[in-house]
Parts: sequence; structure tokens; C-alpha cells
Amino acid sequence: MPKLTIDNREIEVPEGTNVLEAAEKLGIMIPRFCYHPALGSIGACRVCAVMFLEGPVKGLEISCMTAAKDGMVVSTTHPEAVEFRRYVIEWLMLNHPLDCPVCDEGGHCLLQDTTVSGGHSIRRYLGPKRTYHNQDLGLFVMHEMNRCIQCWRCRRFYQDFAGYRDLGAMGIGNRTYFGRFQDGPLESPFAGNLIDVCPTGVYVDKPSRYKGRRWNFERGPSLCIHCSLGCNLVGSARYREMVRLEARLHEAVNGYFICDRGRYGFYYANHADRPRTARLRDQEVPWDEALAAAADGLKRISEAHGPSAVACLGSPRNSLEAQGALKLYCRTHGWRDPQFFWDPGLERKVRTAVARLDERLAVSLRGLETADFILALGADPINEAPMLALALRQAARQGGRIVVLDPRPVFLSCDFTHLALAPGGLEAGLGALVKGALTPEQIAGLPEPARKFFDALPDQYPGDPNLAEPLGTLAQDLQHSKNPVVVCGADIVRETTPAFAADAALLLQAAGKQAGLFYLLPGANAFGAGLILAPESPEAAAQRPAARWPWGAAGLGEPLGPGQPADNAEAILEAIDQGEIKALVLVENDPLWESYDEERVAWALDKLELLVVLDYLPSPTARRAHVLLPTLPLFERTPAVFVNQEGRAQTAPPVLLGGMPLSQMSPELHPPRDYLNYVPGGEPLTPAEIFRELTQAATRLQTMGQVNLWDWLARGNPVFSRLAALDAHPEGLRLLPEASSQSDFAASLQPPETPPAGQVELLLVDWTFGTEELAAYSDILQEAEALPELALHPQDAEKSGLRDGNRAALHLPKGSFAVKVKVTAAMAPGVAVLPRHRRLDWRKLSKMPVYLTPEHIDKVQG
Amino acid sequence: MKYEQVLFKNRQDGRPATLEEYRASGGYQALSDALQKNYTRDDLIKMLKESGLKGRGGAGFPTWRKWTFLRADAPHPRYIGANTDEMEPGTFKDRTLVNIDPHLVIEGITLAGYANKAQKAFYFIRPTYEIDAQLVEREAQAARDAGLLGNNILGSDFSFDIIVHRSAGRYICGEATAMVNAIMGNRAHPQKTVHMTETGLWAKPTIVNNAETMACIPLIVRNGGKWFKNLARTEDGDGNRLYCISGKVNKPGCYELPAGIPFREILEEVAEGMLPGSELKAFIPGGASTTFLPAKYIDVPMDTQGLKDIGHRLGTGAIMVFDQKTCIVGATLNLIEYFARESCGFCTPCREGLPYIRDLLGRIERGEGKEEYITMLREMGHLMNHAYCAFAPGAAEPLLGMLQYFEDEVREHISQRQCPFEGMDRPSRQLWYPPEE
Repeated sequence: MPKLTIDNREIEVPEGTNVLEAAEKLGIMIPRFCYHPALGSIGACRVCAVMFLEGPVKGLEISCMTAAKDGMVVSTTHPEAVEFRRYVIEWLMLNHPLDCPVCDEGGHCLLQDTTVSGGHSIRRYLGPKRTYHNQDLGLFVMHEMNRCIQCWRCRRFYQDFAGYRDLGAMGIGNRTYFGRFQDGPLESPFAGNLIDVCPTGVYVDKPSRYKGRRWNFERGPSLCIHCSLGCNLVGSARYREMVRLEARLHEAVNGYFICDRGRYGFYYANHADRPRTARLRDQEVPWDEALAAAADGLKRISEAHGPSAVACLGSPRNSLEAQGALKLYCRTHGWRDPQFFWDPGLERKVRTAVARLDERLAVSLRGLETADFILALGADPINEAPMLALALRQAARQGGRIVVLDPRPVFLSCDFTHLALAPGGLEAGLGALVKGALTPEQIAGLPEPARKFFDALPDQYPGDPNLAEPLGTLAQDLQHSKNPVVVCGADIVRETTPAFAADAALLLQAAGKQAGLFYLLPGANAFGAGLILAPESPEAAAQRPAARWPWGAAGLGEPLGPGQPADNAEAILEAIDQGEIKALVLVENDPLWESYDEERVAWALDKLELLVVLDYLPSPTARRAHVLLPTLPLFERTPAVFVNQEGRAQTAPPVLLGGMPLSQMSPELHPPRDYLNYVPGGEPLTPAEIFRELTQAATRLQTMGQVNLWDWLARGNPVFSRLAALDAHPEGLRLLPEASSQSDFAASLQPPETPPAGQVELLLVDWTFGTEELAAYSDILQEAEALPELALHPQDAEKSGLRDGNRAALHLPKGSFAVKVKVTAAMAPGVAVLPRHRRLDWRKLSKMPVYLTPEHIDKVQG
Repeated sequence: MKYEQVLFKNRQDGRPATLEEYRASGGYQALSDALQKNYTRDDLIKMLKESGLKGRGGAGFPTWRKWTFLRADAPHPRYIGANTDEMEPGTFKDRTLVNIDPHLVIEGITLAGYANKAQKAFYFIRPTYEIDAQLVEREAQAARDAGLLGNNILGSDFSFDIIVHRSAGRYICGEATAMVNAIMGNRAHPQKTVHMTETGLWAKPTIVNNAETMACIPLIVRNGGKWFKNLARTEDGDGNRLYCISGKVNKPGCYELPAGIPFREILEEVAEGMLPGSELKAFIPGGASTTFLPAKYIDVPMDTQGLKDIGHRLGTGAIMVFDQKTCIVGATLNLIEYFARESCGFCTPCREGLPYIRDLLGRIERGEGKEEYITMLREMGHLMNHAYCAFAPGAAEPLLGMLQYFEDEVREHISQRQCPFEGMDRPSRQLWYPPEE
């Protein structure tokens, strides 16, 4: 480890650290423009020059390009270095417009700060300034090319880091231009990061342009809840509304970047129709009246028909506090534990994933970047969790091999091998690949359960001899890999696949590799929901006496009894049909969005005696609610914990207090001149607060005893006890056991299914834009989303007489609708891929999986 | 011609030498010797070392040392780059050479390929040299047809081919790493962090030499390193080299002369003196990226060491001669305009500093100069050394030469508030700015 002296202070840094980074460790901020920790050093801007006084390098040198070496003596304040940097700043400012007062970057501009700190205040250059054409780069990014100082960060991020080609450098000399070949929306779903990497105001956030200076904003750390990865954000708010999101560094999760869905999905929180006052049916009522109506109604039904007449559902977008408090609420009232998923199959997959992921297997998103072989199974990264695609590209750039087994036409902006297997064949494909990857010595050394699992794996992919060769080559590569990772989606895969993926990763570990497992889950807190749903430890349950109902004389304290495990959604719907469930409590849950059977859900909701909805979205379900109690999005007022797909619990502190945005209160944009002594629209509470108030209302002033939620949850599942330390861990804590309590290698391989002859399986999938619930309420993403398309393999398209670009009528069990057809050979035959798109009326299925005959996909003439 | 001609030996009147003529003069003997006698890489490097051959592209780096950077166990394929980007103002030697004797260059490239066990060469040529590109393509085909290029050259197991690559034309492509980027279809940026002999073209080992350097190789292999070295006039000289002379002389042109020949001899005997009415005021010894030298240096030996001894560089040996009617400020402005336009735009000093220098020089030339501009120009000229590559320091050379030797003339511009040469028989200058879009 080289030891060097910078400005008379010694520091020892790891080999490979450059001098700029070494100085940063001492708290010395050497000016920089082109250097970026994620993009590396290129030595273009020259502003980080420092003086090397002693050691292997002498003289004025560029600190970001010079590796720290033993014996170096560096001065960052040497007059020669200061003079050179002063000139560099002057050069950069030659053509930079002095439009800071009208530039959105002003106030948090690296160039502005450096110019001021460099002492450049008088302009000596008398020549004309260079001007450029500013391009229209789409809805997200504003282009003001005149401000460019040619640091190359945008091009390096866009082309090198993210792997997209439609933005780059053109021209030479001081006419060098950064932009697209012609005006048009940026193609990359990571384009918003240009705003973050640009050291000045060339790329600024378009939707929030002119909304305020940095010091005008309420700013705070937050989390992204538009997929399960849990990327870190900084939120800015002003006049009671969210204005902007930026990426926040998390070394283990998202690094320095986020995707555009995360950056621009937040507008649901500003939605004009967001419920902000309590409602009884269509009537806005005082909060207490709505609370009393809900509490009394639930109590009445519970007493009249027994506790099983009330069902509660949370959702994967609940905070962990909401999920835990909902469970506590159900237990307090003797109801069944809450359910969180409307698709029972999905619920089982999530439960399996949560049960199988443990500290032996879990890999973080950034950890994935160092894997040398990544096997993605039933995962379409760019559509399901965009930042995963960026991580895969980093792995590929470092020489990692990326293999995707997936029926969809998967696109990644890096070299990867795509084996388009139908969902029923994914396990066999993975099995054959893993089997071929073990050497005889490794096989001989396998312990018993692993050996049995290994022996059951197929030698090659059954049924398709064409796959033997690619699988064989891949197996060879996998054999040479040291730290492979299995990525497993939860959406289109069979119910057995998550467990099989875990066993495959364990097998690779048993063969001596540092193998890991990376699940994708449906929703920001699907993992939390899985933890709440998980069976409690039998000891904990046995220690409790039986449930008491109604509430005992001791008042409301900690609920007793083991509770009754949640029913699955199918059983809940069935019970509503049968009239057994008469009241439903939906916590930030919209079955009319989630369920694939709209008709049945709508019918069930209509049949209920009482529908209580707690939500912050103006959802169709919220409109049907008998009692609507508005809740708070994660940006507002209280912190919220979310558990990402690697089991990492992270806190999203509040960014703003909440309340009705000023822009929605006053007709003009100007702040209103009414002075009030309350915050209008400040009624909404978190679900946990609402449950407490509902309980109080139901028991007529009996206050609930103080129950520490995490302690209480930890009684049933010890991982929750870690949450007590969460505040001390801003990087989050993994809620994972050391080793899973499930038995390893219990999964048995499902042979590849052959769909009924001549039929295709309908796969409902996610898209980057247009299928995610919260982002669907973001008007800007609505504008940016691509129109939905049904993807078909040429073989299958031919059977229906369809060509690329045709429109087809899709006849589903409960109705038909028209959709544009995309024919592509980059997908598996035997499947039809349909996005769960906001613009499609697709919720017309009665069960999954669905097989369609060519007659079900009809060409629409004209 | 009283000077021994080895590079231009086969010079014909108005046309390039043919393959037959080249072979008749002993051409391809070196290649055939190397193949038959199984010369090793070390043998060839030894010959080059004896010859003292230094790169003719401008930097003057010993060729043998460049070759030794290639590790013996370096992976394959390996590539050779032969550079005829030749965008240095004042330089036209590679074009002349390849038009006189294309096979000398082709054999040189092939020998470089043989020595370094390469499979493929790229002959990199600027787009304005289209007819020369076609010439090399035609003659390479002739060599292929004669079994001198392509698969199993002269029946041996050595296979090697040359691809003529027309670039999009940029000064910076003369820099080997930028040239490699250009061939790969990337922006022609120099790369300081890569070693060409390890990660050059497509991250494979690559050796890049100037076309003239390549042409010397067959001569050295055929006649020995000592012979070549002894062609030079001075102790440190390296054989014969091509000098281009332009400006106010009677016979401008490209001449093959012994290295180390004094400038006076080139001017007075080879170029037959200054034009009538012209007196020598200054000259640039080695292309636009070298300094202005005043007339007092007329006896400087024109080789790497000779120029080094007076604190300057030989560059490509492209001499530009200026007479007493030339405004040095105007001449410098002309050169800086070229460099400011050609900057690749990668690093700040070059991209922004050169236009700044251009602006200040333009003001001085138009009589709007101020005293402090001289300090600023001198500071910026020296700071160009901290640019990313050698482009900006090269561009600053004539500027610094002007300030070193002709500062009085600059001051005259400022004190008279006009160019002292205004009204003399020369066009007045407008400050050049890039056209608006």
C-alpha cells in the first residue's frame, strides 16, 4: 500500500488509487471536471493538476491520471499548480455564457463553484463566444450546449457506461459538440443521469426547469419504489410538492446512477386527484367520521359474522411499517393475517424466494458487477428492473459473461447470450448448463444432498438438439468462472423455479465457486411482504395462549395467540363469492390494477358489505371504497422502511411535510396570499397511524398498549430484531438468516413442458415504462411510454397470418381487445408476450397460464 | 545530384518506379534474404540499432527501441501501422517518396511485419492523397501477384498483407494512438494510458512507424546498419533523410540529403538560394510544430542532435523559409489558426487555449495589441506543455520561437498600433473565426 504526503499530511492508500482520490481521503478536494468516480479518469479537463515535489513523478502533473506511489510528496497549493488551474478555469470560461442567473444548475454547479474558488472573476478574453444549436432531447433532459465545457462525462456515461449510441461527441477543436445526430428523444432509459453527471448546466432536468434553486428546496434522501432494487435517491420539494429526484450514491445498490422510471415516476405524489381527505362513498367527510364508520363497520361485521368475515390486504408497495402494523392490526382483532398479492402463484414465488435467500447466497446489485458469469433466468432486466441491466453491462465490461435464459425478446446494451427458452423449459436449460459446468473432481467432491440434486439434472436440454452446442460452450465458460451469479426473476417463471435457482447456486458453491443468487421480486417491498407472510417459528406460536375475542378486560395490549395464516387471494375471492367475507381492508392495494381478472375482482368488490381502502393513489378501487382513508406517499412526513430484493432493509426519511401543493390551491402559480393556521390537505396519515386510530375508535378510547413493532415481529421471525439497529446503518441491513431454514437441494427439476399442440402461452410482462403501477400515474412517463405491442415469434405469427406492424384482435377468456403486433425471431416460439400496459384493457383472464390458439390472435384488417 | 540517393535511387521522370525497376535495383532482396536466411527479430533490431534510425514522423524516437517494446510472447494477431497522415504544414515527403518508389515503402512495411511477426498492416493515408492511396493499392496488388505480399510470401510460411486505410483526415491522426483509434472507427483521440505494443489496434500488439521510416528498413537490411548510418554527415546522424523546403527560395521541393547537413547548404546549394530581392529572416526547421529560428542559426546541422543542441526539435525536417518582408506575427497567427482548427477537442489547454492565443495574436496583428498580451502569450505557450498529448506543445513552438527571437517585432506591432509590414507587398489579414452554424 503506497504511502504518500499530500499538503504535508501523510496517507496510505490501496494500490491503484490515484492522487486525486488519495487527496479526497484526506478531505482535500482537488478541483475536477472530467474525473468522476464511476466513470474514471481520462485527463481531459486538466484542472486537477497538482505539483509533485518528491518521489517517482516530478513537476506539475494531472492528479487523476497519476497513480499514488510510495514516497510521493504532493502540493495542491503550489503557486505553479494554482496558476495553471487558474488558466484552465479561464480557458473553460472563454465560451461559457454568463447565464448563471437563468441557469437551473446555478447554485449547485461544479463549474460555478470552481470558477469562484479558483479566483477567476475578471474576463480578459474579448473575442466572441462560440454558440451551438440546442437539441430537443425528449421529455426528460434539457440541452443547453452553449454551457458545455467538454468534460466528456456525458459521452462516457452514455456510451461507455450505459452502452447506448445515440448521444455522443461530434466535431473537433472548440466546436466539439455533444448531442444526438439529430434532434429527438434520447433512447436510453438511463438518460436522466446525464443531468447528474454534467458538471454544469448543459443537461438540466426538463420537467423541473425553473422550479427553484437548490436552496429553495426541501431536500432529503429517499428511496426508489418503482421496482424491487431499492435504488437510493435525493428528493427535492417546494411549495408542498415534489419537484425533482436525483441519484444518491449507494456503494452496494445503485452506485451513482438511477433509471428514468425511478427519476420521473414520482409524479404520482403530486397527482391532482390524489385523495387528501377522508371519504364515505362519494362524500368527503371529516376524518373522525370516516374512521368511526370504518371501525364500527368492521367491528359490527366481525362480531356478527365472526372474525373470518374480515380480510385485509396490504401490498408490495407498502412500507415495512405498514405491512407489520397491518399484521398487528389483524392479530389485535382476531382476523386472519393479511395477504399482499392478488396472484397466488406470484405469492408462492415470492415466499419461496424470501425463504431461500440467505447470507450464503445473497449478492448486492453492485456485487453483481464483479461476477464473472451471470446466468439470468426468466429475467428481462431493462424492463423489470432497469438498473440491473446497467449492472450487467458493468459486469460485461469487466469481462464477465452474461447469459439470459428467457422467452422474451430481451435487449441488453452489452454483449450477452440469449437462449430464448419457453418458461416451462427454463429450469431444464439452467440444469443442463450447470450440470455441464462441473469437472469430474468437483462432482466427486459433492456432498450427499448436492450430489443427488446434481444427478437428477439433465445432461442436455431435452427436446432441442440445436441447444446442445451453445449450452455446451456456455457450460465450459461457467466451468472456468470463479464467482458466478444466478439471477432469477419471479414474474414469468414457474412456481418451482425460484427454489431451483437457489439450489443451482448452492450446487455451484458446493463445487467450490463463490456463487451467488440474485432474485428480482414484484414490487419495492415484496420482500417485506414475503417476510410478513412467512410462517412464524413454531416455538413462538406455541408460547402464546389461544386467541381471545372479543377484546379482553386487560384492554388492548400485545395480541395473543398464534394467529391464522393469510388466505391466498384466490381463497379470499372465493370467500367473498360465498358471502363468507363481508368486509375487505385494502392497504395501498389496487386489485383492479394488480389482478388479471378485472371482472371477477369488480364483482367481488361490489358484493362486499364494507370496503375500506387506505391509499394515496386515486385508484379505481379507491373510487369504489365505502370508506376511503388517504395515506402518505413515502416522501411525506414520516420515515418508511423498504426491503429490497436482496433482503436489504433501507429507510426512506421524509423529504417534505406534505399537504396540498400550493400550485393546486391557487389558480396562478404564484404562492397564495391566504394565511392559514393549518396545512390544507394535511389530513392523510400513514397506515400504521390509521390502524392505531381505527383500533381506538373500535374500542372506544381504550388505547393500545405500546407495542414495539420490530420487537413484536421479531418474536415470530428473528431477522426483524436487526431493524432496531437500522438507524445506525444508513447503508441498510440485510434481513436474512445466516442459512435458510428450508432444506437445501430439495427442489426437483421440472421437465420442460410442451404447450398444447399449435397453441402459444400468453405471457404477461413488465415494460420499463407503462406497466408499473406508481409510475403509471406520472404524467410525464405516460407521455414517454412506448405504445404496447404483442410480441410473437415468426413461426407463431405465421399461423395467425400476422406480420410485423399488423394489428391483431386478442381474444382472451373474458373479452377481446386490439393490439399492435411485433414479430421478432429474438424470442422463444410458443409464447405470446404482452405487456401489462396501462393503455391496454388486458385484465380479461380467468387463470394463469393461458394458452391461445391461432384463432385467439386474429388479424384486424386495415 | 551530388548527394548519394538511396531512397530516391529509382526516381523516374514523371512516374513512379515499377516493381520491375525496383527489383532490378536490388529491391525485395532484403525481404528474400530475411526469409531465406531466417533473420530473427533480434537480428533485424540489431541492424536498426546499428543504423541509428530514428522515427521520421517528427518525434525522432529510435525505431529499434520502439520495436523492443513488443514483448516476444505478445499475443497474435499483431498489427503494423504505416503512417502517411502527413498533415504537418510544410511536410510533403511521404507523398513524394511513395510516388517515386512505392515498393520501397511496401517492402519496408513487409519487413517490419516479418520482424515483429505481424499478420496485417494498415497503410494509413489522408483522404486528400486519394491518387496516392490508389497507387499503393495498385502496387501492393502487383507485389501480391509477384508473391511478395499476401499468403506464403516467396514460398515461405510468412503471410502478411497490407490494407490501405483512407482516414477522414485529421492532423492528430499523425499521432500513433489517435491513428489507431481512427482505424477502429473511434474518434481520433490520442490515448496516453495505452501501450501500443500491448493494446493497440483492437487491443492487440501494434507497431506504428512513419512511411519514410519504413522505407529505410529494406536499405538497412540490404546494406547493413553501418552503411546506412555512414550516409549521414554527422556523428549522431542516421543515414539519409527527406527534407522538404518551401518558402522564399529558388527551388523549393523535397530532397534526399544526408542527415546533419547544415541548413546553409540546403538553402544555398540544394534550394539554390533565396528568391531575388529576398533575404533570409527566419526559418522553421521541421514543420509547423517546430520553432522559428532567426538567420543566425543558418549553420545549424539539420539532424536531431544538431537542433537539440540549440534547444529545439528537428521534427519532420520540413523547412519553411521566411524573408525580410514576412511578418512573423502574421506567420505565427497563420500556424496557430491551423492548430486551433485541428485540435481534437479532447483536453482544455489545446481546445480552448489555442483559440485564445489565436485571438490575442490576431489583435496584435491588427494593431489592437496590448503590452500584457505578450506575458499572457508566453505563459500560455509554456502551459501548453501540460496538455494531454504533444499536439499543443508542438503548436506552441512557433509562438514561443516568435517570442524568443522576434519579441521586438511583436512590440513594434503594439507600439505602432498596426502591423509594421502593413502596406508591403503582402495581403492584409482578417482574424479567422469558425463559421457560425
